[in-house]
Amino acid sequence: MANTQQYLTEYDGISKTIQMYIDGSKQGKSELMRPAFHADASFFGYAGGQLAVGPAFLFDWIDKNGPAPKIEPRIVSVDILDSIAMVRLEVGGWSGKLAGSDVRMSDLFTLLKTPSGWRIIQKAFHWHA
Amino acid sequence: MIVLAARPAVVYSSTKVRSAVRNTPQKTLESWKQIAAYLERSERTVRRWETTEKLPVHRREHEKQDTVFAYKHEIDAWSRLRVKCPIELSLDDGDVLPANPHADNTYLTEHDAITRVVHRYIAGCRAGEGEVMRPAFHPSATMSGFCQGVEYSGSIEHVFDWINQNGPAPDINPRFARIEIVETIAVVHLEVQRWSGKLVGAQARASDVFTLLKCDGEWKITHKLFHWHDR
Repeated sequence: MANTQQYLTEYDGISKTIQMYIDGSKQGKSELMRPAFHADASFFGYAGGQLAVGPAFLFDWIDKNGPAPKIEPRIVSVDILDSIAMVRLEVGGWSGKLAGSDVRMSDLFTLLKTPSGWRIIQKAFHWHA
Repeated sequence: MIVLAARPAVVYSSTKVRSAVRNTPQKTLESWKQIAAYLERSERTVRRWETTEKLPVHRREHEKQDTVFAYKHEIDAWSRLRVKCPIELSLDDGDVLPANPHADNTYLTEHDAITRVVHRYIAGCRAGEGEVMRPAFHPSATMSGFCQGVEYSGSIEHVFDWINQNGPAPDINPRFARIEIVETIAVVHLEVQRWSGKLVGAQARASDVFTLLKCDGEWKITHKLFHWHDR
C-alpha cells in the first residue's frame, strides 16, 4: 500500500463488505449478504462430511438456517495486495435451524477490488465439529 | 524442465587460465559456464547467486577483462550451508521433495502437502505448460484478477491456456509470503518475480492468492486470485 491513508481506506472498504456477510448470517437473510459477493464468486467447504459448492448453496443455507443472533465474528487477518485481498474470519456461537447450537466456523475469504467496491470472489469455510 | 547444460568439455581461452588449471587439476572452475554447469544451473542464475546469495566466486585481473574462477571446495561448502529453499526447486521437484521426517506433526504434514501443490503450479509456469499444473487444481477451480486494468474471471482453464501461450518463464522467482491453514481449507499468498514469456514480456511481478480445499485427503487449489503489478 502506498500510504497509511490508502491502506485504511481499503481496509474499511473490505470490512464493510465482510460486515454484509456477517449481517446476513446474523439475521438469516441472504439478501443482506448477496451484494458482498462478486457475480462470479465461488464457495467451497465441508459441512458434515458433505462438500458444499457454489454461492447458491450458501444463500439457500443462510435463508433456511434463519437467525443466528449470538454469532461472535472476529476478523483475524486482513491482507491487501493492491486489487486483491484475503480475510480470515472466525465466527463462534453459530446457531439456527441447520447449524444447531454454539458451532464455530472459520472462513477464508478472497476479495477482488471492483469499480463498485470490494467483492468476495471466494469463500472457503470449515465447520469445527 | 529447464534444459540445463551438461557439464561441458573444459575449454580454456587463455594460457594464463590454462596454467592455473594445470597447477590445481579438478579443483577450480574457470568460467561462469563451468560454475553454472557444476551447479547444474544457468549462467544467469549463478551470476545472480553471486550477488544475492554470496556464491564464492573469485576474480583475476587482466589487462582487458577480468576472469572469474571458483574453488570447487568453496562451492561445495556454500551449497551445504545454503538454506535449502524449496522455491529453488524446479519442475518435477514437487514430487521429489523429501518426505517429512516428522510425520506425527500434523501442521508440518499439511504445510508440506500444500507447498507441494503450489510447486506444481510454479513448475507449470516455468515450463509454460498448463498440463503440468492441472493436477494442482480442483476440477471446478476458478480464477480472477486484474491485468492492465481489465478484470478477468472464470474457469481455471483460461489460466492453463494462458500459460501455454506464454511459454516458458525459466527465471521466475517465487516466494511463499503466507500460508494459512484452517483444518480443511487454506490460503497461500505467493509472490512471483521475474516473470517472462511471450505474453508477459520481461521482468514482470505478480501476486497470487490461492484458496485450497482438502478433498478426499488431497489438497487442491479451488481458486487463483492474481494481481499483476505495474512496471
